[in-house]
Amino acid sequence: MSDILYLIIYGFVVTALVGFLASWFERKITARLQYRVGPPLLQPVYDIVKLLGKETLVPFGVSKATFLSAPLLGLASVALVSTLLWVNTLNPGKTFIGDLVVVLYLLTIPSMSMMIGGFASRNPLASLGASREMKLILSYELPFLLAVFVPVIKGGFSIKLGELLSFQAQNGVFGGGASGVLAFVVAILCVQAKIGFVPFDVAEAETEISGGLLIEYSGSSLAIFKVMKNMLLCTLPLFLIVIFFGGLRFDGINALYSLLKYIGILFLIIVIKNTNPRVRIDHAVRFFWGPVMVLAILAVVLAFKGL
Amino acid sequence: MNLKQKALLKSLWVFHMSTGSCNNCDIEIIDCLTPRHDIERFGMVLVGSIKHADVLLVTGSVTRKCIPRIKRIYEQMPKPGFVVAMGECSLSRGMYINSYNCPLPLDKVIPVDVYVPGCPPRPEAMIAGIVKLIEKIKATSEGKK
Amino acid sequence: MTPLEILKDLTDRFKQDIVGVFEKSPKRIYIEIKKEALVRVVLHVFRELGARFNTASGVDVRDHMEMLYHFTFDKIDAVFTFRIKLDKSNLEIDSLTPYFEGANWIERETTEVLGITFKNHPDMRRLLLPEDWPEGVYPLRRDYKEWDKNAIRDRGV
Repeated sequence: MSDILYLIIYGFVVTALVGFLASWFERKITARLQYRVGPPLLQPVYDIVKLLGKETLVPFGVSKATFLSAPLLGLASVALVSTLLWVNTLNPGKTFIGDLVVVLYLLTIPSMSMMIGGFASRNPLASLGASREMKLILSYELPFLLAVFVPVIKGGFSIKLGELLSFQAQNGVFGGGASGVLAFVVAILCVQAKIGFVPFDVAEAETEISGGLLIEYSGSSLAIFKVMKNMLLCTLPLFLIVIFFGGLRFDGINALYSLLKYIGILFLIIVIKNTNPRVRIDHAVRFFWGPVMVLAILAVVLAFKGL
Repeated sequence: MNLKQKALLKSLWVFHMSTGSCNNCDIEIIDCLTPRHDIERFGMVLVGSIKHADVLLVTGSVTRKCIPRIKRIYEQMPKPGFVVAMGECSLSRGMYINSYNCPLPLDKVIPVDVYVPGCPPRPEAMIAGIVKLIEKIKATSEGKK
Repeated sequence: MTPLEILKDLTDRFKQDIVGVFEKSPKRIYIEIKKEALVRVVLHVFRELGARFNTASGVDVRDHMEMLYHFTFDKIDAVFTFRIKLDKSNLEIDSLTPYFEGANWIERETTEVLGITFKNHPDMRRLLLPEDWPEGVYPLRRDYKEWDKNAIRDRGV
C-alpha cells in the first residue's frame, strides 16, 4: 500500500510541482538573459489548465489507440523513474538490485513515446520530425550509457542505486577526479538532447517544420506531453545528482547543498540552451558519435585505471 | 468567470498566417516579442502549428488562391479560438481594393473578433488590440451568464 | 569596353535589324529591334559580348504592346534593353527559353497576365493565376474589366 503512495505522491505530484517550478525558472532565466521580463510564477500551470480546456482533435485515418496512448506511455515511464529516484533518496534500503538498469531502460521511453506519436500522426512533417528524433536517440544513447558506467566502476561494480549513494557518502562523490568530470560533461550533453532543448531540439523545431513531432496534437494529449517534458526537467537532473554528486539529503546544512546542486545543474542546462544555436541533425549525429564518444571512452579508461 | 476562462486569458498562444502580405506586418509581430514590448510576460507565445494555437493572427489581403486555405486553417484550430485581423490589408484590402486578385475582405471568409488598423500597426496598437480581445472574451462570458 | 563602344558594335553588326536607339543616360541604353531578329541579337550579346540576362518585361502601351529584354554588363555597370513593339492583332514572339532557363517562368507569367504567346516554349502552364480563372481574360491589360460578380469593391463605410 505504501508503495502506491510513494508512486502517487512522489512520482507524480512532487515531481510535477518541482517540474513546473523548473520550467518557470527556465523561462524566467531565458527572459532575463535576453534583457526582458519573463512570465509570472504560475505560467506553466496556466498553460496546462488552458490546454486541458480545449478540444482534442484526432486526424482522419489515424489509429486512435496509438495516437492517444503515446503521451500516456511517456508520462507513465517518467513517473516510474522519478518514483525510483525519490524512494532511493528518502529510504535507500527499500530498493532492489539492478534498479539502475531499470532506470536507464525507462529513461529511453519518453523520447520514444514522442517518436511513436510523431509517426502515428499521418503527416509528412511529423514523420520528418520523428525520423530526426530516431536518429538522435541512436546517437546519444551509447555515450550516456558509458558515462553512467563510470560511477558504477568507481562504486565497486554495483548496480544498486542505494549502494552507490552510501559509497559516495563514505568515500566522496563520483563527480570528482578526472574521469568523473569527463563523465559528467558527457552526461550533461546527453541530458540536453534527452530533454529536447537547444542545441539538440532538432526534432521539435518550431517554425522550421511547424512543430515537428507534435504538429497534430492538441488539447489534452498535448497537455500530457507538456507535463511529461516538465517532469523530465525534474527527473533527469535528479538522476545526475544521485549518480555523480551523492544524492539529495534534507538534514541540516545538506538541504541547502542539495538545493544548490539542483539549481546548479538546471542553470547549466539553461545557459547551454541560451548560448547556442540549433544544430542540424547530421551535425548532431556526428557530434555524438565523434568527440563525445571519445570523451566517454576516455572517461571509462581513466575510471578503470583508478583516476 | 470560471477557471477554464481564466486560464485561457492568461496564456494565449498565437499562430500567424500571412495570406499574401508585403511582410511588413509580419516583421511588426516579431517586434512585439523584443525586450521593449515584451508580450511573453502576458503568457503569449508564437507557436508553430495551428493545432496548438488559441489565436489566429491573419495579415495580408486575402488572395484568390488563399481563400480555401485560410478556411481550412480556421477549421483546424481547436475551439475555443479567436481570429485577429491585423493591418489594413486584412481589414478591407487597404490599397488593393480594386485589385483583380483580392475579391473579398477577410470577414466575409472567416469570422473575425478583433481588428487592428495601421499600415503596419505599431506594437502598441497590437497590444491595445489584444487587451480589447481579452475584454471582449470576458464580456461575452459575463453576458452568457 | 565602354557602353558607347558596345552600342557601336551592335549598330555595325545588325544594321538592318535595329530600328531606333534611345540613350536614357550614359549607361542605360534602349535599342529597338525588329521581331524576327530577336534571337540573333540576343545570342550575340550573350555569347560574344558577355552580357547577363537580367529579366524580361511586357508592357501594354495603349495602342500596341511592347516586350523588353534587359541585359546587363556587370563589369562596366551598363544596362542594355532590347525593345520589341508588338501589334495588338498579332501577339506572337519567339521564346528565349531554349537558350536561357531563367526566361521560363517569366514567359509563363507574361502569357497568362498579358496575353502574349511565345513560340517554342516547352511548358506553357498557368503559373500564378488560380485554376478557376477564366481563359482569355488578361488582368494586366489596360482594358481589363471586372468579371467577378461576387467581388465586394466597397469598404462598407
